[in-house]
Amino acid sequence: MPSELETAMESLIKVFHRYASKDGRSGTLSRRELRELMENELSNFLLSQKDPAAIDKIMKDLDTNGDGQVDFEEFVSLVVGLSIACEQCYQTHMKKQGKK
Amino acid sequence: MESAIKTVVTTYLSSTKGKENLNGGGFQKLVKNQLGGLMQDTNCSSAVKEMQSGLDANNDGKVSFQEYLTLIGYLASSLSASKTGATADAS
Repeated sequence: MPSELETAMESLIKVFHRYASKDGRSGTLSRRELRELMENELSNFLLSQKDPAAIDKIMKDLDTNGDGQVDFEEFVSLVVGLSIACEQCYQTHMKKQGKK
Repeated sequence: MESAIKTVVTTYLSSTKGKENLNGGGFQKLVKNQLGGLMQDTNCSSAVKEMQSGLDANNDGKVSFQEYLTLIGYLASSLSASKTGATADAS
């Protein structure tokens, strides 16, 4: 039976490929696919996905090879960035609780 | 997807037991308990130690959250590649 961590990794991969195979090149996210992914999957973590300029900026930041698409490795940077933010949030939260 | 990210973060945090970084023993345990299905030799402590020193970018003998994410990213990428490879073969 897969562990929690393995299941989590598998679901990240599944989410990526579900959106990546929607249109155009499958295996990479176009700008529209990235927007859909963020709107549907990250609505609690990110509030800026309604802002087209923010999507453009995230897309540009992620697309390290400059081909206008986000491949899985580039998508992993988004996950890493979100995890770091989430971890910092958690640490601050723990400190606050400790003080009380 | 948000819950998956949460699992990635809380798995690390519960292994550190409140400390900032993961030490050798904690890392051994995490790999053995959580990644046994993905990797081989998770029971072999010298293999896990070797992997740990490969991840240890700042050479402090511990695994930081960033270094742990390097491992997760690497595993996810290879898993994704093997999956797409498998579906391409099947079609």
